[in-house]
Amino acid sequence: MLFKESLISAISSIRSNSVRSFLTSLAIIIGTAAVIAVIGIGSSAEKALEASIDDLGGRTLYVAPGQNRRGAVTKGIIPLDIKDAEALANYKEHDWEISPTITRNRQVKYGNANINQRIGAYLPIHFGVRGYELESGRLFDEDDNLGRKRVVVLGSKIPSELKTIAGNLLNKEILIAGTSYKVIGILKEEGSTGWQNPDEELYIPLLTGAQRVFGTPNVDSINVGISNDQNVDEIMMSIEQILRAKHDIGPGQDNDFRISDYSQFADLRRQATGIFTLLIAAIAGISLVVGGIGVMNIMLVSVTERTREIGLRKALGATHSAIMLQFVVEAILLCIIGGLIGLFIGIGILWICATLFDWPFALPIGAMIGSITFSAMVGLFFGIWPAKKAAKLDPATSLRYE
Amino acid sequence: MIIKTTELKRSFEVGSETVEAIKGINLEVQAGEFLAITGPSGSGKTTLMNIIGCLDTPTSGEYFLNNKLVNELNENELAGIRNKEIGFVFQSFHLLAKNSALDNVLLPMKYAGTNIDEATVRAKHVLDQVGLSDRMNHGPTELSGGQQQRVAIARAMVNKPSILFADEPTGNLDSKTEGEVMGLFKELNEDGQTIIVITHEKNIANQSKRIINIKDGLIESDTRI
Repeated sequence: MLFKESLISAISSIRSNSVRSFLTSLAIIIGTAAVIAVIGIGSSAEKALEASIDDLGGRTLYVAPGQNRRGAVTKGIIPLDIKDAEALANYKEHDWEISPTITRNRQVKYGNANINQRIGAYLPIHFGVRGYELESGRLFDEDDNLGRKRVVVLGSKIPSELKTIAGNLLNKEILIAGTSYKVIGILKEEGSTGWQNPDEELYIPLLTGAQRVFGTPNVDSINVGISNDQNVDEIMMSIEQILRAKHDIGPGQDNDFRISDYSQFADLRRQATGIFTLLIAAIAGISLVVGGIGVMNIMLVSVTERTREIGLRKALGATHSAIMLQFVVEAILLCIIGGLIGLFIGIGILWICATLFDWPFALPIGAMIGSITFSAMVGLFFGIWPAKKAAKLDPATSLRYE
Repeated sequence: MIIKTTELKRSFEVGSETVEAIKGINLEVQAGEFLAITGPSGSGKTTLMNIIGCLDTPTSGEYFLNNKLVNELNENELAGIRNKEIGFVFQSFHLLAKNSALDNVLLPMKYAGTNIDEATVRAKHVLDQVGLSDRMNHGPTELSGGQQQRVAIARAMVNKPSILFADEPTGNLDSKTEGEVMGLFKELNEDGQTIIVITHEKNIANQSKRIINIKDGLIESDTRI
């Protein structure tokens, strides 16, 4: 009953000073909103990243030409080419999908539209490895590749880039670097993975690209798709052996290619996001503590303003702890209300970001419970001193306080 | 005997000086008395009331309330006595402005830990006694001065105190409502309630049954009417 009385008194006090209460809890509001938004955005971004890695279907190792300089003798770099990819593909020890890639920007023309767009030359398995799906038409196949056919599959945004619609382009000829190509298929919208946007690319068979468009057998990279249960270190070792033999690299000489693991990038990125999240959350935590000092300040004012009321309550038999309870409850309530307002603002910001960047939206339940609890603790901590001051007031003098 | 004090003294530190507000008061009050304590301002009557009302403790001397030595009790025990044994009525009513008359009357019982249903029944009963049964859901701002003071009297009476203290209870009232409030005190006293009124107004003091005049921290006269 005493707690209920304290709660009613606290609500009435906060309501009768609503503007002051709002301004006091502003730092708490901002702090909580920041904690919720940042932690929520962090975990949503991570989920989006994980989803995009899952899209790759297991793990993908990425082999690119280049050198890790370690101070050894530098040999001329031999680029990776289609033959290297074939050597990897012919190695049957491992169950892996070898997908070499050449991408360059080229002029693409259709009707009056003339755009500079990314052209990617891939093996037919690339679509499967990436999980890209057709909206209409067909994908290119091994025959198209071996026959160096002039066919192209378009990313979903290409028709609008060419100022037309998908239906108008299918089975029509477009010009890539001045040569005519037949549009055989158009992909569904895939959404950006964060690495590149597959919707804004034109896909042609690898050999077509090497011979007709780019005029080089050199590839930008070779993707090696493996399933999750395979040993990455072993796979990397095999790739290294095959390519070193192919490039005739002697013992003691450095590789002229690099092998990287997409999921390593992902781990790094996750780590960076985690550190960033922690940092902002810490700053937000400081804002909560600063808010607590504001609450303490206003509680001290409130105690002074209500000296006569405190005197009266004591005259009516309120004990030390009854008065303490009343003011501590008020401070905690002030912080919790601020925390709840901040919570809704934070969720709002999170929802807007998730919608804007197409991330999965999930309520950060842990952060929500945590920040409200922390707000309440801030209220308790910073409410105790003013409450003590109130409880210690002398009833005889405070009754006559003007 | 409800009140017995022996050589009650209270001094205050004012700057570097020590001021003796009361200088040795010996007072006995029996149950059912209607007492007026009078005296000019600065005479020490308020200090005396604070000590007898357990709002303050004496510097020296003894104070027995219901044969219990009070001046050795701690802060929480004093709060308990103020809650159960003493009812206060103040000049400026001292009602909680945002609470209804009923909630104001309920407050002492909340501190006593009374069950809410019982408390509500008792609060309604005392409000009925002071003639406010139809105004109990009104806030102080919706009540006249006389009505507010009657709410305060109901609040003071609700825990059935041994003593009802009234500190200048009519100081903020016009003469008509003053008569009403004093009439209420007389009725309560006829029912056996011990009442102590602190006032500097002669006509108020004259309505009591015993007048104690304080001057310079000592009892100057003790007259029974």
